[in-house]
Order: sequence, then C-alpha cells, then structure tokens
Amino acid sequence: MVAILPLLDAILQHLTLVFTSLAIGICLATPLAILSVFYKRVSYLVLTTINMAQSIPSFALVAIIVPLVGIGFLPGIVAIVLGSIVPIVKNMYVGLAKTDAELIDTGKGMGLTDFQIVRYVRLPLAYPAIFAGLKFSAIIANGIAVLTAIIGSGGLGRIIFEGLASFNINKTLSGAIPAILIALSLDIIFSMAEKKLKSKSVY
Amino acid sequence: MTNIIDTIISVWITHQITLRTIQHLYMFSIALIISILIGVTLAILVYSNPKLANVWFNVLNVIETIPELALFIFLLPILGLGEKPTIAACVLYSILPIMRNSYTGLAYVSNEYVEIAKAIGLTKNEILLKIRLPMALPLISSGIRVAVVYIMGIVTLGGLIAAGGLGVPLQAGIYRYDIPAIIIGALWVGTLGVIFDFIAWIIENRLARRFNPW
Repeated sequence: MVAILPLLDAILQHLTLVFTSLAIGICLATPLAILSVFYKRVSYLVLTTINMAQSIPSFALVAIIVPLVGIGFLPGIVAIVLGSIVPIVKNMYVGLAKTDAELIDTGKGMGLTDFQIVRYVRLPLAYPAIFAGLKFSAIIANGIAVLTAIIGSGGLGRIIFEGLASFNINKTLSGAIPAILIALSLDIIFSMAEKKLKSKSVY
Repeated sequence: MTNIIDTIISVWITHQITLRTIQHLYMFSIALIISILIGVTLAILVYSNPKLANVWFNVLNVIETIPELALFIFLLPILGLGEKPTIAACVLYSILPIMRNSYTGLAYVSNEYVEIAKAIGLTKNEILLKIRLPMALPLISSGIRVAVVYIMGIVTLGGLIAAGGLGVPLQAGIYRYDIPAIIIGALWVGTLGVIFDFIAWIIENRLARRFNPW
C-alpha cells in the first residue's frame, strides 16, 4: 500500500497537471477559434490540422515530446495541452460559427462592432457547445496526465507505473482508483456547469 | 541523407518494427471486429426501447471517462497481462461510439419510410433489415471511424502492459532515452493512425453518398 500523504501529494500534482493544461488549452484555443470564424483560410488550416492531430495516438504524442521538449513536469503539460486542445477548438469554432445569421444581422443593425458581436452575440450563444468541448477535453487531459508519468511529470500515473514495474497490484490500484474518481467528478462538475449555462442561454 | 536512412533501417531492425506493426494491426482488427459486432447488436436490441438504451448509454459513458491506463489496471487481475486486457479495453471504449451512432441511425429513420414499408406489408424484422439498417449505414460507419481512432490509441498503450505492438518501441525508446527509436516509432504510429482514420473517412463518405436519402 501507499502511505496516505504521498498519495495526496500525487493527487494534487495530478490536478495541477490537468487544470494548468486546461487553462493553457483555453488560452490557445480561443484566438484560434475566433480567427477561424473570420478567415476561411485559417479555419481550413486549423480544422485540417486538428482533425489529423485527433487521429494520432496519445502515447505517440507523449513519446515524441521527449526529444522535442525533454522530460519532467513542463513537457508533461505540453503533451497534455497538445492532446486535449482538439475538442476545445473544434467545439468553440462550431459554436461561434454556427450562430444564427439573423441574430448577427440584428447586432450589426444595432451598430455593434465585430468584436462586440463576438463578445455579446456569438459567445453567449456558443456557451453550451464550448462547455461540451471543455468537458471532453478535461476527460482526455485526465487520461493523458496519467500517461505522462512515463516522461516524469509525476502525479497519479507515477504510482501506477511504479506498481506496474514491481507488479504490485495494490499500488497500481491506489493510483488508478483516484484517477477514475477524478475523471468521474470532472464529468459531473462540467455536466452541471453545462446544464446551468444551457438553461441561461436559451432565448 | 544516407545517414538518416541508415538510422531508420537500424532502428527498424533492432526494434523489430515490422513484427510490432503486424502485432499492432492484429490486435487492432480483432478489437475493431468485436466492438462492431457488440455495438451494432446492442443497438439492434435496444433501438425500439429508448429507456433501455439510455441505461446502456449511461453505463458506457462512465466507462468512457475512465483513463485508459486505469482501465488496464482494473483488467489486469481478471485477464492478466498482454493482448487480452488490451483488446478488452479497446472494446469497452469503442462500444459507445458505435452503439450510439447505430442506435441513432436505426431509431431515427424518417417515419415516412417505415410507414410505406408497413403499408406494403413488411414485418418488423424485414423493416429492420431492408429499411432501417441500410439507412443507418452512414451513421454506423461514422461511429466506427471514431472507434478506429480510439482503438489505435489504446492498442499503442498496450505496449505498456506487455501486449506487444508499436507501443513497445516507444516505451523502450523513452526508458533508454533512445531518441531515433522514439521519433521513428512515434511518427510511424502517428502515420498509421492518420492513414486508418483517412480510410475510415473515405468509407464513411462513400456510404453517405450511396445511402443518403436526402
């Protein structure tokens, strides 16, 4: 068995990995999605790249980070961001681009600038789609965060890998069960947020 | 240039990448076939009963959120190390996309067609086989495409629990800091993933054009 304190430490590290990557993912995805809404060529480029990136196995992604960035916490973050950014960008783009044209015309008629239309018309209407993407992304991030322990990012994955190496089932389980509980609670939390936003944004 | 080719060849031989690729595709195809069979069968069983379908989807949704590696750990005591838990994990993950799409395709066939079929005297089973199933094919295949991507990813992870496949050179590369092995392994796995996704996309498009009634 693993002592309780190191386990708590690992959980904390795991959550740091997941949420830091999510935050970075959101910061990177937002400009990409907004640019894609306005420029056809950018959207084509972004969507093609993203669709291809989606079909690359996450383990390959984690492995290729080693020669490119190195090992440790930061490379782990890079791997998680690369692996989990796809649903954020995709859903944000779809949500922003598929706004009712009538509403945008109304906004223009009222004299809103392009920025204001994005901020006050497109974005609020896209919230449900964006949150669905975030939820999916959080779950993927959690999965890859377990995996990045193999490149030294720490977290719950480290306990799992140590257990696997020594064939200590109890140890692997003590890493795996918290990881599953975190996944389930992420799912529940984001679903609740999604529901709240949905009831607010229906017009 | 010759240097690069030499490195590629030596990595290819020392890490037995041909053999690993065969193992990889072997597990991949078995997992894909099993999950298609289970997914489509389940959808056929529940397509006329939305409540039962919802129960299934909730259960499968929970499995979907579990990290792949953690799922492996849970399968280890039951199935041991190697190919079996890998294939089982692939199947558990990819039933949901296949079943959800098949269910949507089967259950939401436009009522007109079903009414016409009833009017010319087809039984429920005939309607399923001759109307619902062909019209659901495009959706089923897009579910299978999602499953193809999942299975590719999980089979690669199988390398970590001694299942063989292309995860092995990646793992060895990471542990020994063997950079050429990592780069070649990762690029090869990535390319395979993209190629299979592309093939699935072509099939999906063909079926959509052939069976799209709109």
